[in-house]
Amino acid sequence: MAFRRQELTAALVFVAPFLLVYGWMFIWPTIQMVRLSFTNAPLIGAGDWVGFANYTKMWGDRVFHNAIWNTGYFVLLTVIPGTAIALLIALMVARLRGWLQSMVLAFFFLPFILPVTVVYVIWDWLTNVQFGILQAVIEPIMGRSINVWRTLPWFMPGVAIITIWWTNGFSILLFLAGLRNIPRDLYEAAALDGATNWQMFTRITWPLIWPITVLCLTIQLILQLKIFDQVYLFAQGGRTQTTMVMVQYIYESAFVKNQGGYAAAAAVMLFVFVAVISVLQFQLLRARGQR
Amino acid sequence: MYKMTLKAALISTALLGTAVQAQETVEWWDFLGGGDGVRMKTLIDQFNTEHAGSITINATTLDWGVPFYTKVQTSAAVGEGPDVMTYHASRIPLAVSQGTLSPITAEDMAAMGLTAESFAPATWDAVNVDGVQYAVPFDTHPIVLYYNKEMLDAVGLIGADGLPQNLNGIDNFNAALQALKDNGAEWGIAQVTADGGFAFRTIYSMLCQQGGDIGTDGAWFPGDSSAKLANAVGLIASWVENGYNPSYTDYPSTVALFTSGASPFMINGVWEVPTMTDLHAKGELFEWGAIELPVWFDKPCTYADSHSFAIPENAGKPMTPEKRAAVDTVIGWMLQNSLFWATAGHIPANEAVAQSAEYKAMQPQATYATLTANMVFDPKSVNAGVASPLFDAAGNAFTAAMNGEVDAPTAVQEMLDALNALQ
Repeated sequence: MAFRRQELTAALVFVAPFLLVYGWMFIWPTIQMVRLSFTNAPLIGAGDWVGFANYTKMWGDRVFHNAIWNTGYFVLLTVIPGTAIALLIALMVARLRGWLQSMVLAFFFLPFILPVTVVYVIWDWLTNVQFGILQAVIEPIMGRSINVWRTLPWFMPGVAIITIWWTNGFSILLFLAGLRNIPRDLYEAAALDGATNWQMFTRITWPLIWPITVLCLTIQLILQLKIFDQVYLFAQGGRTQTTMVMVQYIYESAFVKNQGGYAAAAAVMLFVFVAVISVLQFQLLRARGQR
Repeated sequence: MYKMTLKAALISTALLGTAVQAQETVEWWDFLGGGDGVRMKTLIDQFNTEHAGSITINATTLDWGVPFYTKVQTSAAVGEGPDVMTYHASRIPLAVSQGTLSPITAEDMAAMGLTAESFAPATWDAVNVDGVQYAVPFDTHPIVLYYNKEMLDAVGLIGADGLPQNLNGIDNFNAALQALKDNGAEWGIAQVTADGGFAFRTIYSMLCQQGGDIGTDGAWFPGDSSAKLANAVGLIASWVENGYNPSYTDYPSTVALFTSGASPFMINGVWEVPTMTDLHAKGELFEWGAIELPVWFDKPCTYADSHSFAIPENAGKPMTPEKRAAVDTVIGWMLQNSLFWATAGHIPANEAVAQSAEYKAMQPQATYATLTANMVFDPKSVNAGVASPLFDAAGNAFTAAMNGEVDAPTAVQEMLDALNALQ
């Protein structure tokens, strides 16, 4: 018993620094944020208690609905398509050998190291309605040059394509590592048994790469729910209320409109959404794992 | 021996101490990143050289727009703001409501050697809120009409005085655009159409030319201003529809269209003057000029804002009288030496400089400087000013309207709804 208490004390001493920092820098601000969401505080300073007024106002706000819809739409456009494309590219790169493989991999990974502002400038010029090189592709198809970032149906798919181009390198790298971990002899044995390429993929590669796929999907989901920079940059000066996403809504409320309490309420809502979606996804993938 | 060394060290440290005390370091923040930022650095270096041993400016350049103002608010609230900073006059009402700015007193103005009469009435009014002065105007930066002199001359639009003529009135102006296009110009005019927030400067000028007004919270478009605003948006939309102005075109593209000779006119801020001056000096630009916006409607009127100097109210850290004196010296010196700042295109706010013979010889600055008599500033609302909810609402409503996706009256109503929703 004495030993057990000693062990407990030691454990406490070891986790105390983490608990303190975690409580001070994460739990405490979170509690403060929830408290703030029930006030009409500006960005700086205190406000008066207003109960659920911020929440009811938010539920009636068209722009908030846009933000939820756009964020969901963006997740739909990027998470699964992006992961699928990464797997395809990884399968192709895995067939290459030596320096050629390194070079091709580097090409795919290069965009990932760029800051978002650079990504924005590159694509803004590529798609520029007067001078953009991509208009040479758009014009013959559409009959006229199109400003992608000012045409509502094009906006989210456009941002999604750029985001996949930008962040795909990381998923490719993960998949490649997973593919290298599959023992060669499984394929050799299958080949001796007369398995086709498709059978080898569905029976060997796909089941063995599944944990990596789950990892990629999870990372992508969390990343894309927090979409902000690309949408903010490409939409600035345009119809920002229609192309609004969740984090941008929080940013605008707090820093442009000077409404700290309202922004906190929006942040609480985003927190709830992410929590619910994460639990759902966890349940879904667990069910799949038990099969 | 050891003791003597120690004594000497102590004395020299003490001497050093007094020297440091007499020297004031003024922390300076600005948002000037472009060509005007380079010119501001030159001014700061010159100040530091002239005041070596007494005052040193320690300057930091931050991101323009929302990031700058957010940082100023938050740092002043915890006493970590600078001693002096550049500030858009249009953003002062919000800062005052947040208690971010320290009022400029009569003693400050006396120390700077300035009075209310040193400034144009509209500029002076822009830095005052409820009769209290919160900043010292450094410049006025309106939008102007840039023109390609060679292309205008070819169709007879340059008068005997060497300046553009026959541009007033919508019919005259459109006829000029048509003539220029008939003579081979790809476009008639380059006005930003991809960013309704930026275009708001032009639209607001056109509204003011009709005697219309933008009010403040509660009564944003007083009287028949809604209809007049729709006229203004409709004029730009008609340029796009008739092929005079390219659609959905962003800021850098308008500059490129103008400097490459694809468009003989461009509406843009005076801050693009250095771009033209530098290109022309390198022999890469045609003969060009810039003038006050034409009178499309009833009277001359141009949107303007002012870069001014403000002193933050650092919470819990009142400024020492010595520091305040140093800041006053800095602002006063900058105002006296703002002639160099005029090379960045901005009109010096200090009338003594704007009326000087040197400024009057500066072209095209002196030509458009007359517009200071016909300026309109942003309405005094916490929701107005550069990069404000008002600009944002304009971006949302007018971007689609200028390009013919929505008709102008609908867009104006949309903007009004957005503004009314701002609590």
